[in-house]
Amino acid sequence: MPVRVNLDRVLLDRRMSLTELSDRVGVTIANLSILKTGKARAVRFSTLDALCRELQCQPGDLLTFEYGPADSHDEDDED
Amino acid sequence: MRALGPGSVSSFLKIILDVIYVGLWIFVSLLSLFTLVALLFSFNPELLASLLPISDAVEAISRDGPLFAGALAAWALLLGGWMVIVERLRKIFATLTAGDPFHPDNVVRLRLIGLVLAGLEVGRYVFSGMARWLAPKAKVIDDSFTLTAWFSVLVVFVLAEVFREGARLRREAELTI
Repeated sequence: MPVRVNLDRVLLDRRMSLTELSDRVGVTIANLSILKTGKARAVRFSTLDALCRELQCQPGDLLTFEYGPADSHDEDDED
Repeated sequence: MRALGPGSVSSFLKIILDVIYVGLWIFVSLLSLFTLVALLFSFNPELLASLLPISDAVEAISRDGPLFAGALAAWALLLGGWMVIVERLRKIFATLTAGDPFHPDNVVRLRLIGLVLAGLEVGRYVFSGMARWLAPKAKVIDDSFTLTAWFSVLVVFVLAEVFREGARLRREAELTI
């Protein structure tokens, strides 16, 4: 997927665990793991807002675009 | 009145479908058993003669027995098809009762229901055609083209696609954080 989630790196910089972030933003650990591992399809603005607020960062710190092959998720759905 | 979830109309319909399924299961089992007995007697009239000392009945059964067994087998197949439909509907309604209508398995279930409905309709033409050919004087089921049946088949296939789209949207929602 060309859009990468850098939640791992930001958490490491802030010395914050996933559990602590989960408690602060009100998103389950399971959903944060989906986001962290890049399996998420979409991120709500409200979630992004909460993450940026608690991690004191910009959306661009969490998400980066990398040139590469297009996402194959939509093709998988057609099966 | 709620349509989905526990204690809703779906759960009530699920109970009705359960009862129909059990009834069909018993009826198809009995019909299959009668078919086997009819086949046994039609090919062994002597066996019946040893059990029932009525020569007229033996003669009639040896003459019409195979046809009668064929008709019973056709009815068993027809009801078997309906049993498959009801069984899949039960599973669909179980997901509705659980409040999860767009379960991915429902797509396959609906497609199968459509296929079985189409198969039953084609089977009806085949069996009634055969009945007309083998027993011209017998009163047979109507073999005319019914638009409603084929319309139902198409509606079920369209519904399957609607459920497929619903399942895709559900997965999208699950992966939206």
